[in-house]
Amino acid sequence: MNKFSWYEAKSVEDALQQVNSTLSDELYEATDEAAVFKSGGIDVFDWVKQGILKPQKIVNIRNIPGLDKISYDRKEGLRMGSNVTLAEIASHPEIKTRYLALHLAVNHAATPQLRNMSTLGGNIAQRNRCWYFRSADHDCFRKGGDRCFARHSKTGENENHAILDNGSCVSVHASSIATALMAFNASVVIVNAEGQQKTVQMDDFFVSAGEDIAMENILKPKEIITEIILPTPSKNTKSAYIKQVARESYDWSLADVAVVMEVSGNTCKSANIVLGAAAPVPYRSLEAQQAMENKTITGENAKAAAEAAMAKARPLSKNDYKVPLFVSTIKQTIMEIS
Amino acid sequence: MDTRKEKFPYGIPGHNLGEIEREIPMEEPPVWPVNDELKVIGKRVKRIDALEKVTGKAIYTSDIKLPGMLYAKMLRSNVPHATISSIDVSKASSLPGVHAIHLIENAPKEGGDGGTNTYPMVKYVGQPLGGVAAESLEIAKEAVSLIKVNYEKKPFVIDMESAMEINAPIVFDAPITQQQDGGDVGETHDGSKGEGNVRGPSTSSFFGGPRGNLEEGFNEADVIVERTYRTQVHTHMPLETHGVVVDWGADVMTVYASTQNTAAVRNEMASVFNLPKSKVRVICEFMGGGFGAKHSAGSFGPMAANLAKKTGRPVWLMLDRKEEHLAEGNRPNSIQYLKIGAKKDGTLTGIQQRSHGTAGVGLGAGVGRIAQILYPCPNFATEQYDVLTNAGPGAAWRAPGNVQGAFGLEQAIDEMAEKLDLDPLRYRDRIDTSEVRKVERQRGAELFGWSRRQPPGSSTGVVKKGLGVGQSTWPRFVTLDSSVEIKIHKGGGVEIRSSVQDIGTGTKTIIAQVVAEELGLQVKDIKVNIGDTFFPVGPGSGGSVVTGSITPPTRNAAFEAKMALLKLVAKKWETDSSELYVEDGQVGHKANADLKMSFKEATKLMRTSQISKIASRSDDYGGFQQPWGLAYGDLGSVQFAEVSVNTETGFVKVDRIVAAHSCGRPLNIGQLESQINGGVIQGVSYALYENRVMDNGTGHMMNANIDQYKVPFSMEIPEIETIIVEEYSGRSSTDAYGIGEPANIATAAAIANAVYNAIGVRLYEIPITPSSILKALRNVS
Amino acid sequence: MEKKDQDPESKSAKNISRRGFIRGAGLSTAGSVLLSSNVLAFDYREHPAKGKEFGPGAMTIKMKVNGITKSISVEPRTTLAAALRDHLGLTGTKVVCDRGACSACTVYLDGKPVNSCIMSALDVGDKEVTTIEGIAKNGELHPVQEAFIEHDASQCGYCTPGMVMSCVHLVENNPNPNLEDVKDATRGNLCRCGTYPHVFKATLEAAKKMI
Repeated sequence: MNKFSWYEAKSVEDALQQVNSTLSDELYEATDEAAVFKSGGIDVFDWVKQGILKPQKIVNIRNIPGLDKISYDRKEGLRMGSNVTLAEIASHPEIKTRYLALHLAVNHAATPQLRNMSTLGGNIAQRNRCWYFRSADHDCFRKGGDRCFARHSKTGENENHAILDNGSCVSVHASSIATALMAFNASVVIVNAEGQQKTVQMDDFFVSAGEDIAMENILKPKEIITEIILPTPSKNTKSAYIKQVARESYDWSLADVAVVMEVSGNTCKSANIVLGAAAPVPYRSLEAQQAMENKTITGENAKAAAEAAMAKARPLSKNDYKVPLFVSTIKQTIMEIS
Repeated sequence: MDTRKEKFPYGIPGHNLGEIEREIPMEEPPVWPVNDELKVIGKRVKRIDALEKVTGKAIYTSDIKLPGMLYAKMLRSNVPHATISSIDVSKASSLPGVHAIHLIENAPKEGGDGGTNTYPMVKYVGQPLGGVAAESLEIAKEAVSLIKVNYEKKPFVIDMESAMEINAPIVFDAPITQQQDGGDVGETHDGSKGEGNVRGPSTSSFFGGPRGNLEEGFNEADVIVERTYRTQVHTHMPLETHGVVVDWGADVMTVYASTQNTAAVRNEMASVFNLPKSKVRVICEFMGGGFGAKHSAGSFGPMAANLAKKTGRPVWLMLDRKEEHLAEGNRPNSIQYLKIGAKKDGTLTGIQQRSHGTAGVGLGAGVGRIAQILYPCPNFATEQYDVLTNAGPGAAWRAPGNVQGAFGLEQAIDEMAEKLDLDPLRYRDRIDTSEVRKVERQRGAELFGWSRRQPPGSSTGVVKKGLGVGQSTWPRFVTLDSSVEIKIHKGGGVEIRSSVQDIGTGTKTIIAQVVAEELGLQVKDIKVNIGDTFFPVGPGSGGSVVTGSITPPTRNAAFEAKMALLKLVAKKWETDSSELYVEDGQVGHKANADLKMSFKEATKLMRTSQISKIASRSDDYGGFQQPWGLAYGDLGSVQFAEVSVNTETGFVKVDRIVAAHSCGRPLNIGQLESQINGGVIQGVSYALYENRVMDNGTGHMMNANIDQYKVPFSMEIPEIETIIVEEYSGRSSTDAYGIGEPANIATAAAIANAVYNAIGVRLYEIPITPSSILKALRNVS
Repeated sequence: MEKKDQDPESKSAKNISRRGFIRGAGLSTAGSVLLSSNVLAFDYREHPAKGKEFGPGAMTIKMKVNGITKSISVEPRTTLAAALRDHLGLTGTKVVCDRGACSACTVYLDGKPVNSCIMSALDVGDKEVTTIEGIAKNGELHPVQEAFIEHDASQCGYCTPGMVMSCVHLVENNPNPNLEDVKDATRGNLCRCGTYPHVFKATLEAAKKMI
């Protein structure tokens, strides 16, 4: 790693004074005196170890007091500070009973060691794992370069890549927890240097590659995530989550699906169906949601919804298997609800 | 030489155990009975260095820290094919903390022009170009990043099939020989034959050349199976990377090396630096895995020594994970055409094999000899081609060649069985003449529950279950240049010395067991000092040679030392040493129970401080030695696989493996199980997970790390049950052999056959992935 | 907006755009924003030890490792693994992937397993570090270590320290683990020799002995 200084932030305001860039901005176009946030540090240190990110200063937000709490009440819903670790989410009893899909997503993420280190904020703000993007030898669009190596029809190694919304960048978002959070209609609380706070729907937190090739989320320099809020589920809310990976022990998602449904008996009143590892950002399938609305939860209806979700899929040269994989996984996940 | 005759156990206990008379050298010890009658051999003896491993106290090469030591980092190419016009080290050399920079240069030509050919041509991404030694590893890394290499890029070719095309960029425009060997044991790969990037073929081995007449063989056949199989390139990825610490003192160059072959590293370093072997000392006390890739000093060894020479300080040079993937070995891929013919009764009439494989810039990408020798067949021919590509060189990998070869052959045999309407196991009973595999099939099938097997594709539901089997053979390789010294110290203490290293297989422990058995002591009484070339030279840890090579001289040396000690006791007791025995730490008299003395007391009778004996591996009893110094015979294995295939998602899970193996006389059951488990798991990995992903457009390996280079972790581990078949053949004083290679050969084929049994569609290519399963099931185009 | 491969070299063909104007712009430009000026959700009371910048050069820090507080000189870029191995001579902690992907570098921070290769030594703060060298107490092996020896749960041994750390943590926190629990605890630990079956067996046996 290059030499960098370390600022131990004492508060959100303090941290925002110290920082001047973001990981994403630096990857797209490096600046000389970059000061970037680091919480759990797994993604940031990975980039520094790759020699691609060369910060002058790392602002450690991991120990800012107050960002490490989980609370639940019926009025406020579930509030999780951005420094809550994945391990803390995984072992939280209220989350397991009321937000099962989130519990499962967290439990299938990373390793026990990494779950003790990773923070929620860092997890949703991490950059994608496209191996060209992560390579110092490949200047791709996301790093300010002039091509997408992965989408090349002859030489692109794109077996893990996107099948939806892959017109500009074909990477898939690395956070499978975000898939579940989005299905629960989570919102992200962001604070800026002026002390202003905004609450953004998860759907709006992520930025499509077409909209901005450099970013995967809306975070700008001098902005920080402080909280993730999930609304209170109703008595009739049910959720399910399935993640498909090449290696069950520990792997990046090939296809993960979160379903949060309002049910009446065995009928779906409304559904949130979100796909991970399908597109450059977590992908809410409006088609699948619509297809399930007011339908009984049967294998046939689930399959129809799954196929509807894949109608716009445009596989690359080596990932057409992802279409049937998603069809099967969406169907299975919906059927878990019944 | 004086010899005597002895009767040795011969055959398989519980099956056909008998005796065979062998003529053996007079000075060698009397025959050991079968394991049931021995105290230490063939038991579950705890690994003698396990304590150091579980407490973190084992010191590996990467852990070594010497006073004044510098840390080094290699400079490597990041383009696949180029000439180097210049290298600018000015920024790097002025970085504070940098002590030396060494660039790899071409040997000066006579009357050399010193012009454009200063540096070797770059042939692959990751090729070593130089190195930096600095105060810390971070500084060394930073310095390397500051070196500017100016390339004149050339066209390159990564993909093997593209490299075979007539207009492909040429990797080497001259004949080459044994340019880093992919490790097909015993083969000679001739890089001077062939055209363009396609070199060879290799058509013969120490098992001979082509046999019979293929055309006649296929004419005689009632049934033909003709298929093409494909296997991928995968990298060894030992946990400890390649590397050395070089401490070049005034008198001796000491090289701490993470190696499978201390003696070879010593010889290489002595040769490179023109030193007598006596002035180079290579030490490897613990090493973190090699699997075939760590037989050489590589370029990192001389680099560290050059930097040590320039700085006058010890230099630590361990590669990082990416370098390890790029440049330090891989198992070559293969495209294998295989045609086999059989009569209606199953008798094989012809086997034709033609293979292409790439070991990158290296040779030795054959598919082994398993098709030649596993089943008797009068008509056989193979043509094995090496294809050169702009990628890192291959290296031997557990049973080189044969793992690829078994994947093809054992599927073809399965397909033949089906065409003949025979159960695959029954078909092998019919055509396989090996007694040990016969027993393995019987015992394995029973434990596995082979009778549960249903017709292919008949499993119902989304997740389909399948059962499959695969077989293998591996020669009993022996390195005759294997020596060991024993010292019995006055006042107690027994020490063993050899340069042979323990790469995690448990070599230290089996050596201690052999000595303990011979001296009537406990394993804990034996101090095993190995992995040091200042001791007698032992074998390299490859080809499963170590057990068969080092344990007989170990026993013989122990026996000689014991006889010397017993002579002293006999003198004191005024009897003949042949009347004495050792047991449970005591020396006793066969005829007089009153005469007893502890082993320790006996050692006090010594005139000198120690009794020291050196023994070397003698020829195999029964004359199995081959001209090249190796002996062979059949180490057979049969592995059974049970898999689940999700036909909607395409995921395959290996649920269970039963692995039946032979290794002559088993020495340590726990360690054998460990190695078989490891071979099986690496086979599971080969069949389903790992794959070197190369970007053909840029020549870079895209998954040169651990998270994207998929190998099994805990959840992917099937239930593994091992069956170890004792098999005696009376070939040495221990009659024991290794298991490293055999454990890894049959697994992928067994899994592929099980996948076929599950879904009724055969996959001819590994790794088997969701994509390939869904394609096979026509769920995607 | 699906575009087929046109000219892979061309940015315009790929709709590559950058919302550069947003960079540094005010909050109101973002999507569905709920501006609020009320008190922040959390209490940001100052922590006396914070608000300082360190490095980039070396500094002396105190670190409690295996029960003993030591002073070491580190840079902010010094990983915890490097601090342990190079500065404290605790080489039982191994660096294999150097990215948190193999768990060979597992140590405990206040009793929780973490990957020491992908964190700064400064991340330790006032937490207590436990390494493989601190697992045996007063020369007495932990039951997991005993069982690893008994069941031959190491081959080359390079993954063993990390593996032991994962398994000790399991049996210390789950008195009655089953096979799935052991697999779950070691799901991040890579063993290339393939020693897993013996690791599972050893850990289950150790757990039995601890009851």
